[in-house]
Amino acid sequence: MKKWLVIALIVSLMASLLTGCSQPAPAAQDGAKAPEASGEKDVYRVAYIARAQADSFAAWLANAVIEEAAKYDNIKLDVFDGQANDDTENGLIENAITNKYDVIIVQPNNGEAQRPYVEKAVAAGIKVITTNARISGIEGASSVDADPYAQAAVNAVVAISQIPQNANVVVLKGPPGNFHADARRDSWQKEFFDKRTDVKIVGEEIANWNKDEAMNYMETWVQANDKIDAIIAMNDNMAAGALEVIKDNPKFKDILSYGVDGTAEAVLLIEQGLMTSTSLQSAYDLATALMDTTNKLVTGAEKQIDIDIDCPLINKDNVQQYIEMHKKAGAIK
Amino acid sequence: MNTINKNKLWSDMKSKYSIYFVLAALFVISWLANENFVSVENLSNISTQIAVGTILAFGQTILIISGMLDLSSGSVLALAGVLSISVYKMTGSLIIAFAVAIITGVICNILNGLMVTKFKTPPFIATLAMMTMARGAALMYTNGQNIYQIGDYVKFGQGKIMGVPTPVIFMAVILILTWYILKHTVFGRSIYAIGGNEEAANASGISVNKIKMKAFIFNGILVGIAGVLFMSRVNGAMPNGAIGYEFKALTAAVIGGTSFTGGLGTASGTLAGAFIVGFLDNIMVLVGVNSYLQQIVRGAIIALAVIYDIWAKTKRTKRKHDLK
Repeated sequence: MKKWLVIALIVSLMASLLTGCSQPAPAAQDGAKAPEASGEKDVYRVAYIARAQADSFAAWLANAVIEEAAKYDNIKLDVFDGQANDDTENGLIENAITNKYDVIIVQPNNGEAQRPYVEKAVAAGIKVITTNARISGIEGASSVDADPYAQAAVNAVVAISQIPQNANVVVLKGPPGNFHADARRDSWQKEFFDKRTDVKIVGEEIANWNKDEAMNYMETWVQANDKIDAIIAMNDNMAAGALEVIKDNPKFKDILSYGVDGTAEAVLLIEQGLMTSTSLQSAYDLATALMDTTNKLVTGAEKQIDIDIDCPLINKDNVQQYIEMHKKAGAIK
Repeated sequence: MNTINKNKLWSDMKSKYSIYFVLAALFVISWLANENFVSVENLSNISTQIAVGTILAFGQTILIISGMLDLSSGSVLALAGVLSISVYKMTGSLIIAFAVAIITGVICNILNGLMVTKFKTPPFIATLAMMTMARGAALMYTNGQNIYQIGDYVKFGQGKIMGVPTPVIFMAVILILTWYILKHTVFGRSIYAIGGNEEAANASGISVNKIKMKAFIFNGILVGIAGVLFMSRVNGAMPNGAIGYEFKALTAAVIGGTSFTGGLGTASGTLAGAFIVGFLDNIMVLVGVNSYLQQIVRGAIIALAVIYDIWAKTKRTKRKHDLK
């Protein structure tokens, strides 16, 4: 029985090989050009490789890209999840090259780890866009990003006049080695701490963008310090976590707090007067720019583009428009 | 009492209660390192901060004693939490929301139990699969986004009863329940028997598969409760919350003397293990230890605590054999 099965398997394999070899090329219809021959297509296949859909910002961006792509008749978007793992993400880029996508959009987990694979894609003649955060210096690749230094700087610059003299502050950082986390902290150092040498950092920890980790640190800092005048967080999640700890404590009713992202939670906290400011990292704007860039590249309108989206400051004076933005998107009900 | 008996008593105490000596030593060192450590509020904070992980650890303790473990508890916690908050926002009922969290935890753990008992899947693999599935389900349900504005739901994790934070009360009640189950019930004795020698337990008439399922169900209830407490503490449903909490739970259980070989472990030991890690994390932040150094110190202290505990137990077992 086993012998016959093996023979049947070999025969069917050989038959499929022979059939494939003898398949004639599809005949073009009269008057129509085969799209591949001319370089123009009706629909371009785009691979969007997300860093990790478990990361709430990355998920927001992926969802926004899907919505934006739906507006283009000539774009068919496939989304892949890098699962916050360099090996996984690199493998997905290689798969996208093998599957001959017209465009690959890469949201890197770690820019330097993905760099050789992005270069491979460019060398294979595929249009590549890197985003959030861009991988700089790849010839032939385009990029769409928000500048993390600027995102923190818009807060740091106003903090110079807002944070009182000889203030005690606490700092919450993102994951070490993360481009956005490092650039934002660098921005606060140069734009604020180097200029306000009277300010003392009484606590500085890595909270990995996480609200619960930030809460634990803030609870401990509140024990160790009689006075904390400001919370400086590299993202809104961590700022919100720290604020959660002191929200009912009258001793901290005047505490200042700064974040980045412009999340739904942050804008609500600003509206309530609990958070001072944040800067918007709009996934909607990134998605719009990404799809516009994609369209320009595939239609030949542009050969290479680098775009930075704005990062406006959100404070109590202008928070309403951002609340409306989140309501329209369904993030605030 | 003569000198030999006194020495023997002291040696027995050291080996049986070694982990509590470690805890006490760490408490004293932390107190000396920073006076804020022993304030009521700081100790209350530590207790609150370790509550979710410790509740998970009690479930892990029961599973590990019986020769199993659960790698999915962080993910199932997240799924239970987001579903619970979602139901609360639909119904306005805290009771229904709480029940949904527990039901979710139980269903996921019944599936774990079925994979292990019916399909003979190793618990490591079964719960690893559930870890991925539960996290994926939580992310799919919420589209990767957090759910805010949870109203009175926060009372579960941020409330106080007679000045004691509610997570600490939950932890204390579950500690007593776990201790009672392990020490004073047939189920508890069966857990130890299965972990000690599954074949012998089976031969002696213990329904091994039934006990294992019950262990998973108990774990599921605790994971559901942990989901409610975690999400209410962070004031939002976070589908990517509690990543790595299963390892926190495993760490507390193992430091507390629960053995991966099965048949060994106590609820109080697990609580001690959780406090060792909690004290460490707290004192390193209080004295301002560099973040990277914190990870090295944490790992080293955990290794030393476990090595000392194993050494003390091995010495005690050797002395028992020598006396025979």
